[in-house]
Amino acid sequence: MMNSYHDVSLQIRRVGKSISLFAMLMILPLTIAAQSFTSPTDGMKVNTPGVHAFTNATIITAPGETIENGALVIRDGVIEAVGSNVDIPSDARVWEMDGKTIYPGFIDAHSAVGMQNPRSELDRGNLSWNAQIRAHLNAEHEFESEGDASSRLRSQGFTSALSVPPLGIFRGQTAVVDLNDGSVTDRLIRTGVSQSVKLTRSQELGFGYPTSPIGGIALIRQTLYDADWYERAHETYQNNPSGLQRPENNAALAALRDAVHGEQPLLFQTNNDEEILRAMRFTEEFEVTPWLRGNGHEYKLIDYLSERNVPLILPLNFPDKPEVDTPEDALGEDLSVLRHWYLAPENPKRLAEAGIEFSFTTDGLDNPNQFLNNLRKAVHVGLDKNDALAALTVNPASLLGIDRTHGTLEEGKAASFVIADGDLFENGSRVLDVWVEGHYNRVNRENTTDARGRWEIVSTDASIDAELHIEEDRRGRLNGKVTIKGEEIDLESVSVHDASRRFRVTFPGEEIGYSGKVRLTGSISGDDLFGWAEVPGQSRVQWKGNRTELPEESDDSSDSATIDRDLVLEDIRPAMEYGVKSIPSQPQHVLVRNATVWTMGEQGVMENADLLVTRGRVAEVGQNLSAPRNAVVIDGEGKHVTPGLIDAHLHSGVTGVNEIGNAIVPEVRMGDVLNINNIWMYRQLAGGLTTAHVMHGSANPIGGQNVHVKMRWGSLSDDLKIEGAPRTVKFALGENPKRVGSDRYPETRMGVEQIISDRFSMARDYEARWNEWEENGEGLPPRRDLRMDAIVDILNEDILVQSHSYRQDEILALIRLAEDFDFTIKAFHHGVEAYKVAPELAEHGAGAVVWSDWGGFKIEAYDNTTFNARLLHEAGVLTSLHSDNSQIATRMNWEAAKMVRAGVDPETALGMVTIYTAQLLGIDDKVGSLEEGKDGDFVIWSGDPLSTLSKPEQTWIDGRKYFDLSQDRRMRRAIERERDQLIQLILED
Amino acid sequence: MKSSIIALSLLLISLAAVPEAEAQTPAPKQSEPIALTGGTIHTISGDVIENGTILFEDGVITAIGTNVNLPSGTREEDVSGKHIYPGLIDSWNQMGITEIGAVPMTTDVNEQGPVNPNVKVERAFNPESRWIGVGRSAGVLTSVTSPGGGLVSGQSAAMMMDGWAWDEMTLKSGVGMIVNWPNPNNDDNYTDAIDMLRSTFADARSYMHARMAMENGGPRHDFDTRWEAMIPVFQGERPVVVSANEVRQIQDAIIWAEEEEVELIILGGRDSHMVADHLRSKEIPVIITEVLTSPNRSWEGYDARYALPAKLHEAGVKFAIAGGSSAAYVNRLPYEAGAAAAYGLSIEHAVKALTLYPAKILGLRDRIGALEEGMDATLLITDGNPIEYATQVEQVYVQGRKSDMMDMHRQFYEKYREKVDQRQAER
Repeated sequence: MMNSYHDVSLQIRRVGKSISLFAMLMILPLTIAAQSFTSPTDGMKVNTPGVHAFTNATIITAPGETIENGALVIRDGVIEAVGSNVDIPSDARVWEMDGKTIYPGFIDAHSAVGMQNPRSELDRGNLSWNAQIRAHLNAEHEFESEGDASSRLRSQGFTSALSVPPLGIFRGQTAVVDLNDGSVTDRLIRTGVSQSVKLTRSQELGFGYPTSPIGGIALIRQTLYDADWYERAHETYQNNPSGLQRPENNAALAALRDAVHGEQPLLFQTNNDEEILRAMRFTEEFEVTPWLRGNGHEYKLIDYLSERNVPLILPLNFPDKPEVDTPEDALGEDLSVLRHWYLAPENPKRLAEAGIEFSFTTDGLDNPNQFLNNLRKAVHVGLDKNDALAALTVNPASLLGIDRTHGTLEEGKAASFVIADGDLFENGSRVLDVWVEGHYNRVNRENTTDARGRWEIVSTDASIDAELHIEEDRRGRLNGKVTIKGEEIDLESVSVHDASRRFRVTFPGEEIGYSGKVRLTGSISGDDLFGWAEVPGQSRVQWKGNRTELPEESDDSSDSATIDRDLVLEDIRPAMEYGVKSIPSQPQHVLVRNATVWTMGEQGVMENADLLVTRGRVAEVGQNLSAPRNAVVIDGEGKHVTPGLIDAHLHSGVTGVNEIGNAIVPEVRMGDVLNINNIWMYRQLAGGLTTAHVMHGSANPIGGQNVHVKMRWGSLSDDLKIEGAPRTVKFALGENPKRVGSDRYPETRMGVEQIISDRFSMARDYEARWNEWEENGEGLPPRRDLRMDAIVDILNEDILVQSHSYRQDEILALIRLAEDFDFTIKAFHHGVEAYKVAPELAEHGAGAVVWSDWGGFKIEAYDNTTFNARLLHEAGVLTSLHSDNSQIATRMNWEAAKMVRAGVDPETALGMVTIYTAQLLGIDDKVGSLEEGKDGDFVIWSGDPLSTLSKPEQTWIDGRKYFDLSQDRRMRRAIERERDQLIQLILED
Repeated sequence: MKSSIIALSLLLISLAAVPEAEAQTPAPKQSEPIALTGGTIHTISGDVIENGTILFEDGVITAIGTNVNLPSGTREEDVSGKHIYPGLIDSWNQMGITEIGAVPMTTDVNEQGPVNPNVKVERAFNPESRWIGVGRSAGVLTSVTSPGGGLVSGQSAAMMMDGWAWDEMTLKSGVGMIVNWPNPNNDDNYTDAIDMLRSTFADARSYMHARMAMENGGPRHDFDTRWEAMIPVFQGERPVVVSANEVRQIQDAIIWAEEEEVELIILGGRDSHMVADHLRSKEIPVIITEVLTSPNRSWEGYDARYALPAKLHEAGVKFAIAGGSSAAYVNRLPYEAGAAAAYGLSIEHAVKALTLYPAKILGLRDRIGALEEGMDATLLITDGNPIEYATQVEQVYVQGRKSDMMDMHRQFYEKYREKVDQRQAER
């Protein structure tokens, strides 16, 4: 039936058997080009009618709308009629669709179709200075039809797709195309749909700024400001160019004009839950319209996403099975990995149930042909089929702005649809044909040639009279037996070539007296077989077969063994060990009674004292306080209570710490890349740490801006930040900044000092130019340079300098440089030789943030001494300890205790991890001591916090109990249980 | 609080009024009998003796108790109110063979190639390393310095933390043969590496037999420096100290050592609690190399490493607690045991894990690790339990030498304290 239809591929086949696949591909575009409106006819005019009627089909016209026994009529690529009572036009070719289902064509909302060979090098034209900014590229201009993914996408039922430029940070503008083969000229449905953005750089575009996630985000931010400036600068220039310096002409910035005003969506490609939050944060600063290409982790953000109406495009790339082959392998798999393996298929279902709308994409799959399989998995674990269909049709159509022509099967819409031999959302069904804008594309042959059953074979010379029994196994492979001369022999091979209806079997002939293999070949016509055989030692034998028994129809529902879904995993945050269902509650009042309270304030250390925390803040420390009504009262008998410990220098809980693409990068911000999926945070809480200053790395003389966080385990990353904390920036002196790269300035301590000095001068000039323009408004508007902004703020002490340092000379050099520019360095970190310039530090007013006993590991650290903090303190320098190490941050009380051995009194020692630290970080109005009005951050210790024998029993932040020793023990058991259940499921799968 | 800080600063200034930075000169050998009297003597192997006397002559303890007759000429030191402990033992580090980790020319840890049983750390031990003094003033009086790298790294030695040169500082050479158990994470590589280890031992053993045969009149067999160094291992005179952390490494090393019939000590032992029964039944001890750290698997308790010594103790496995590999951090050794004490191990056993236990495990029990007559007078005078942070180590003796308590940490402090004082005086 089908092979009589006019079809591009069949036409080609007629050209001749010898034509190669390569030649076919060469000819295909030419054939399709005959459709084009403007191209001249080449060869004979093709006038095959484009009118088709599909009758007796189950037609799903839209999610939830089914027509049984309906008909669909299309004419010249457009739907003419659809319904249960449709007149079939007399000029239509009729396709009998009994038993088949027709769906609207699927739309892939984020594909790389046509982008298989992206240009990595852009070497001409008015480009951006940064190779990662390619906003001016248009998918339709870059589109390469040859070798595109259309046929693979069609195999999964897709008829159109968003083509997304794949390289860079600003990647270019997307376009929707249909998935016929051929020139994009004929396939383009809509252009300029969105601007494609990735938060991190593409390696393919060469090494350079930005090398890190912080740098990527900073570059996006700067570029958005630049695009805004660019428009205004050109406007000013166009109005009256006289006397003005001509602004640069930058195609990429020009292309971002609509995006900056929110008129063109920014389509962010995210790789994990944190990247979703990172992308969304741009909306707080810019009027941009975000779209998200998700990543499968969205179920971890249901609360967040349901409050925001952000378009979501979901991949269905489920994780590989975790490695649990041996018990030792299993030890190495984290709960986050085990959980994600189990929960990833539930992602769409969970989102749909929360009322979050989404579209699907094949993006992220190793091969698009895994798509339907994974889709079925998602449906199997509970995704409603209508939601699934909506995510493939109406949702993407509406998102991509093609819903007037695509997404449903309605009169007047494009004739793009899928024909399946069953319910596509169930295992066992197949896509047969995909019609794209009226063009027929075969995906799977309907098995018209069925060789199964029992056949009686009669040969002309009776030499191979036999009975054949042909079966199909669960994987669809044929096998069987032959009964001949009283022997039953297993067939070695059975094959059917469906297109030609040819049938072949081979079996060994020895048992029936032949000296080799017997091979039968023939043609099937219904229940008849006509063939000949190659029999060893005989001439060719002709034979005839007759089917005596039809195959049994097997029930397919048992296939694709699926894992037991009885295990219900609760939503926890972070989605890993010790994750919690919600952050702890905040009792109105918490009263700790009869403890030794280290207030770290005027009240000193009080014995038999009570601490009252009300609504998250310290209300009072005193003796015999009366308990307010409903207060949570804790018996502190024998316990010690201290403020929550603070670490002045930490690098955990962020994605990457160094931006090394430039020596001076104060525009990058650690607060942009916080990551809650961080077991260290829990361990630090368990060690009594409540606050940390998370810092940029030491690769740059002027590094990035740091962030103050609290260990609010169970929160989203934004909620970790301490509101109202001052901005701080990392500087770095000495070995580290001078040894990054072989050709990056600086390479000596001399150069470190000079490049800092140079940027300070630049910033003063930048500031002056802005001030002038703001006063007189003359000339082009100045460009907002986030790097210079930050340095201006540094010089004005709106950003506090926290400088990595080792040797005394470099410390002194930065002090003197700051004095030249009339500002104060807030603190020197590490400062292994800070004690050597203690008087100078004290005089300048800089603090010191040092290790208890770290040193000796490199030449600039060789003169370390455990008396460093003590001597600094004695010289009148405000001094704190720090860890610079995730593990040490879990036991900062013991770091302070080492100072007692070095001769510091206990209260001062504890101050070095509480109040002095808070002062150096500019957050002593909030944390660091237990004084009225300060945050209710405290630790209950089993004993003296400076004893090796003591440990935290409870850690409270904002009047909420984030760590509790007994709860920790319960959670450990629950974790073991959950791991065990998941490992068992993986072993069963 | 501020006023108290100022007061304390003044106090500290007066305390710090030691005149000149000292030269950290090695102490002369003990020349007269010394008796420490009135202190609390923690013998470790026996009872705690309150108000006791410990007498030592020529570097060796000659009497200990509450009623000790002092020979004439004994120098008496009243240590009333103080505590006396045996010197602490760091049973694994790289003291004296590495100075600054990031400066390769200052490290002599990893010899070239995978099999180096013949190298001996004491012969490369730098007596001028500044970490020796740092360790001494933290109470670490013996360092079992160990080579690293490759498969068979070489021989460790027990080094005393006072002396002019390595020869007089060597308490015992050839303490252990260090072996690095292969990484099991890649099956093929693991197989190859274990095969190599087995064939190395087989080659060494066949050499030993060939040499023995030669001595008994058999054919001549030439000398092999590397295999010669293995003979004491096969003769049960030198344990094999196998670095093994992951559970497979530990258990596979046990089976291997049993087949090789060599004495095994597990070094590292991160997962050793998982196979504690196996270790106990074979009487294999563990030198735990890192207590003050976190587990490397997210699902393990935050205190998994702190609690490991207590778990081994409860399971009846013999163990010692060592510091880290870096000599610069030798002063942290007491805190490693301290963390174990916070998480389930008694203080008594925590102190033993730095004294008696490593001495027994490493064959040094006759000399150090406890205070008994006939043992070395290598001891500390403190104001408290040595694993507690606040405790001050006031004086140490190393084989009866009264060591200089100055070290580079303190020397830098005193030098730059002088700068602070000068600046304040100038003002």
